[in-house]
Amino acid sequence: MNSNIVLAVVVSAIAFGTPLVLAGLGELLAERSGVLNLGVEGMMLMGAVCAFYVSQELHWSSALVLFLAVVASMVAGAAMALIHAFLTITIRVNQIVSGLAITIFAGIIGLSSYLGEVWNIGGVAGLHQFNQVNLLGLKNLPILGPLIFNQDVFVYASWVLVVAVLYYLYRTRPGLYLRAVGENPAAADAMGINVTAYRYTHTLIGGALAGLGGAYFTLALAPIWTDGLTAGVGWIAIALVIFAFWRPDLLVLGAYLFGIFSALGPTLQTHHITALPSEFYSALPFLMTVIALAAASTSWANRRIGTPASLGIPYTREEA
Amino acid sequence: MIGPLRVERRLDTPKWLKVVVPLASLVLAAIIVGILLLATGHNPLSTYHQMYSAAITADGALSSTLVYATPLLFTGLCAAFAFRMRTWNIGGEGQLYMGAVGASATGLVLGDWPRPLVIIAMVIGGALAGMLWAEIPALLRAYLRTNEILTSLMLNYVAGFFMYYLIYDSDSYWRDLTTPGASVFPTGKTLGSHANWPGITIGSFTLPLGFVIGAALAVGLLLLIRSTRYGFEMRVMGDSPQAANYSGIRTKRKILSVMAISGGVAGVAGSSQIGDFGHVLDPRGLQQAQYGYTGIVVAALALYNPIAVVLVSLFIGGLTNAGFALEGPSFPTGLVGTMEGIILFTVLGGEILARYRISWQRRHVVAVGTGVAS
Amino acid sequence: MLDAGDGRAALAAPAVLASDLPAGAVGRVPKALAVQAIEMTKRFPGVVANDHVSFDAAEGEVHALLGENGAGKTTLCNLLMGLYRPDDGRLIIGGKPVRFHSPRDAQGSGIFMVHQHLRLVESMTVAENVVLGSSSPRQLRFSPRAVERTVAEAAERFQMSVDPRARIWQLSLGERQRVEILKALCRGARILILDEPTTVLTPQEADQLFSSVRDMAAAGRTVIFISHKLPEVLAVADRVTILRNGHSVTTLPTAGTDADDLAGLMVGREVSLEAVAKVTHEAGPAVLELAGVWARGDLGTEALKDITLEVRAGEILGIAGVSGNGQRELAEVITGLRPTTRGMIKIGGARLPTGDPRGAIDLGIAYVPEDRMGTGIAPNLSIAENLMLKSYRAKTMRSGPVLSSRKAIANAREMIERFDVRAPGPRTLIRQLSGGNIQKVLLARELSSQPRVLVAASPTRGLDVGATQYVRRVLRDTATSGVAVVMISEDLDEVFELSDRIAVFYNGRVVGTLKASEADRQQIGLMMAGAA
Repeated sequence: MNSNIVLAVVVSAIAFGTPLVLAGLGELLAERSGVLNLGVEGMMLMGAVCAFYVSQELHWSSALVLFLAVVASMVAGAAMALIHAFLTITIRVNQIVSGLAITIFAGIIGLSSYLGEVWNIGGVAGLHQFNQVNLLGLKNLPILGPLIFNQDVFVYASWVLVVAVLYYLYRTRPGLYLRAVGENPAAADAMGINVTAYRYTHTLIGGALAGLGGAYFTLALAPIWTDGLTAGVGWIAIALVIFAFWRPDLLVLGAYLFGIFSALGPTLQTHHITALPSEFYSALPFLMTVIALAAASTSWANRRIGTPASLGIPYTREEA
Repeated sequence: MIGPLRVERRLDTPKWLKVVVPLASLVLAAIIVGILLLATGHNPLSTYHQMYSAAITADGALSSTLVYATPLLFTGLCAAFAFRMRTWNIGGEGQLYMGAVGASATGLVLGDWPRPLVIIAMVIGGALAGMLWAEIPALLRAYLRTNEILTSLMLNYVAGFFMYYLIYDSDSYWRDLTTPGASVFPTGKTLGSHANWPGITIGSFTLPLGFVIGAALAVGLLLLIRSTRYGFEMRVMGDSPQAANYSGIRTKRKILSVMAISGGVAGVAGSSQIGDFGHVLDPRGLQQAQYGYTGIVVAALALYNPIAVVLVSLFIGGLTNAGFALEGPSFPTGLVGTMEGIILFTVLGGEILARYRISWQRRHVVAVGTGVAS
Repeated sequence: MLDAGDGRAALAAPAVLASDLPAGAVGRVPKALAVQAIEMTKRFPGVVANDHVSFDAAEGEVHALLGENGAGKTTLCNLLMGLYRPDDGRLIIGGKPVRFHSPRDAQGSGIFMVHQHLRLVESMTVAENVVLGSSSPRQLRFSPRAVERTVAEAAERFQMSVDPRARIWQLSLGERQRVEILKALCRGARILILDEPTTVLTPQEADQLFSSVRDMAAAGRTVIFISHKLPEVLAVADRVTILRNGHSVTTLPTAGTDADDLAGLMVGREVSLEAVAKVTHEAGPAVLELAGVWARGDLGTEALKDITLEVRAGEILGIAGVSGNGQRELAEVITGLRPTTRGMIKIGGARLPTGDPRGAIDLGIAYVPEDRMGTGIAPNLSIAENLMLKSYRAKTMRSGPVLSSRKAIANAREMIERFDVRAPGPRTLIRQLSGGNIQKVLLARELSSQPRVLVAASPTRGLDVGATQYVRRVLRDTATSGVAVVMISEDLDEVFELSDRIAVFYNGRVVGTLKASEADRQQIGLMMAGAA
């Protein structure tokens, strides 16, 4: 097979995977604390539109504007997450309904589109963009060059974040406490850990990272704003977190795998390399996840794997 | 306890509160949206007036509203029925897709049969497809106790890809290969005229057959829940799984049947999409519309009551219709979702007032006890 | 010896204080008092859980709190660990008066409690669980290896052998308990409270626990443990305080006493007059028979061991015993809510299918569970609907699949009338009723199905005097009408008052069955406490 095709597929996979990794890590942290957030798509769109607005309206140096745009995207995402957190943690609304409400509120026919209209930023090319950097000057190395040393800041940030979240979860005390909160909130509470605070914090972080993932679209990929330009990536991020069984290392692999499958399909078909349709490959990860979930429910696996058992269930301390 | 506020569950929600709180929430939502409109240079009152007319009073408005309301009626019922028993079926989206696939296949195969039979067959075909798709997470939940939220969600994506494959990526039975442009712009086969579901014209508007079926289903489901053995068992299970077990209710079977009914109703949503509108399997259109997920919020707004689902689906349908009809410089489409979202937030948040009593607590109570010495 | 005839014995004999003991009396030099509870009083609505209870424990002492259900042991410990605040009384820890507002405060003073329900995260390692409890979140970094080393050192130091790398799900219950104790020790526990620690332990594990307890005491710590088991108390404790009905009866050094005395103090010696005054009648044939029944509890241990019992028509078999000795599991196997692993249960000669609630209902078993609000009723449904909970399948209640709501309401009205349930109407939501009325609804429902066997668990717990009388009368009448009644009760008075025969449960076994008229409290007390 032509190495150019392989390269093209991988490059496209990374582009597809980067917002997935960002939003996915956020959702992973939220779910680890026991909060299911189905509003990721809406939060990403809010991040995208706010970032674009900032980058269009501020007339300062590119670096500063882009930085502020990134900050804006994270604030926007976190603001949406705050609504979700308040509804589900304090008022104890059903997490599914609240998340869907956020998606509708902020999504393709919601606030993000409304703001895009009101701010009049649709359909115009972006003034600023994160370009690919030439990391360590090695962009011309064969194969590895374009893949590793010639990406934009978002991609590098996503890799750094994966390592950071891994370290956070498994090598820091707050990370340990977070895992306890997700797996057994009653035990964590009994040991003096503030379950509510952990849930709020990590839901907000989840929103901020979702916003950041959205900003990738309007600041790096093809800087332009259109309604719903994330095209369902937020939903895939949710599925990805479950597919990765709430582990950051599997998450990043899964993100690129999803990317490869979505890019590979059409490529394989055009070159008549395989009989299986591309949709089969696209659907495969989701089917595998269902099987894995079923296998993990058996008590043999359940004890070993430690899924956030409290996912979706509001926590109430027993009060007489 | 939230800080110094003491929140206690009410023993009994007074009837008037049950009606006043949602209404007050709607009023609050209207105010918040009004503020948003003002802040962005629109006149709230005229906007509301325009929406009202675009949804109901203008020519053909009500019929359009019904077009949007019909699928939501089904998916709303799907979610309401399942959620009542605490089986969180969020696979309505995928069950709708499969229902559409099933119904269009039925309609194509039986295209020459007499019309009433074709319609009945399409309903059955769609319902069966939706039912089977829902049974996968149901079986996993009943026998392996796998979380059905996660599995039904995953299967939505799988159904989407399957539907996509049938039309855009294969030479399947569903695909139209006859027209010259077909290989370049893949579309589904258009169903024959016998598969066109008739609308019922009442005065100035047309009631899609699907809506009538849906309304009948709503009544049927309500009767099922309120008056039958089956519904009684459902309500007990939804209220207290231990009490259900103790009274000898076969909980595994219940899960399977409730999910089957729920999925079947979503499947009929798919049938209606083919039969009432479109007459062709349109994966892109269905995926963009997100009827399944919207149905869940419809169910939540309706407090999982089937009759209320009919009303709420009309409301949201009207809202969506108005949004698309008025789309333009003075009325961005984004307003629809924003308004829906704010309504959801206020109604969901307001529900807490009905369920709980909030009072001021001066002393922090530390003692936690059962009141029984040991 | 001391006679605690009417329970108000706090002043009858002075408690023996640790400081009174001559050196060497219990093999230890008297040390400073670690904890002094003086006249601790705690009231709950309708009951005084602790009524001016006093006791003390020295450093290096193992002190047992002995008593039957409702005596006030757990309340006292909850006061000590800061979960409750006392209505009256003083607490002095290490010579300093203290006032606890939360468990955190108590922990700051070195008091830790190990509960019956362990709070551990199953999928994490021992080291991680120990660290979770530690109060130094300021230390951000967490290195599993370093923590494992620290925990291993601590385990060594405190002589608690656990493998820090093991995951909790891999450990036995005894080992898990050790992790909990280690957690407390690592957080600086000077006074350790153990709540019925041997409930789920094997005899070997119990021995290991006692050895650890002695080690901790030797190291200068104070161990207070709650127990109802006389053999344990006599084996491990230096002194024992007996509680009864919220009062402290007395405190004794264990060296100078024996099981008989302790049992007598625990349950009293008076002959129960009510037992004699009962109208005795001929009981009918055996209706409920258990033969060699074994069953597993929630934690996987054997909760029922080789149970053989029979209950005849028209008699009330009272199940006496401290809660947690298998009574709940007994009720659950009879009613089909828990499968048996061995043995057979027969109702009127027909074999009861194991673990099948529907089968049990069909064979005529009625159950008024201890957990009224959870298992017994659907709280958000109406009275009428709750009354139908078992009868809705009957042909009389329905026509085909449709339930007749008219019949249900009429039925409900009739039962509300008959059982004198105070409620606005049959459509009222059941959770709005008082405890006593809910119990009446439960009884009404269960009895209206014409059962052959009625299992009633803690039937009068939490009820006011009037409701209690009513329920007891109903139980008596039910037996008289020919039903075989199994009554599980933690209230020994009630057991004596109502039962024709009494079976005593201890550690999952029936340790004795006797006629109520021939039994005396002390004997029962000994059996309940494992010392018969």
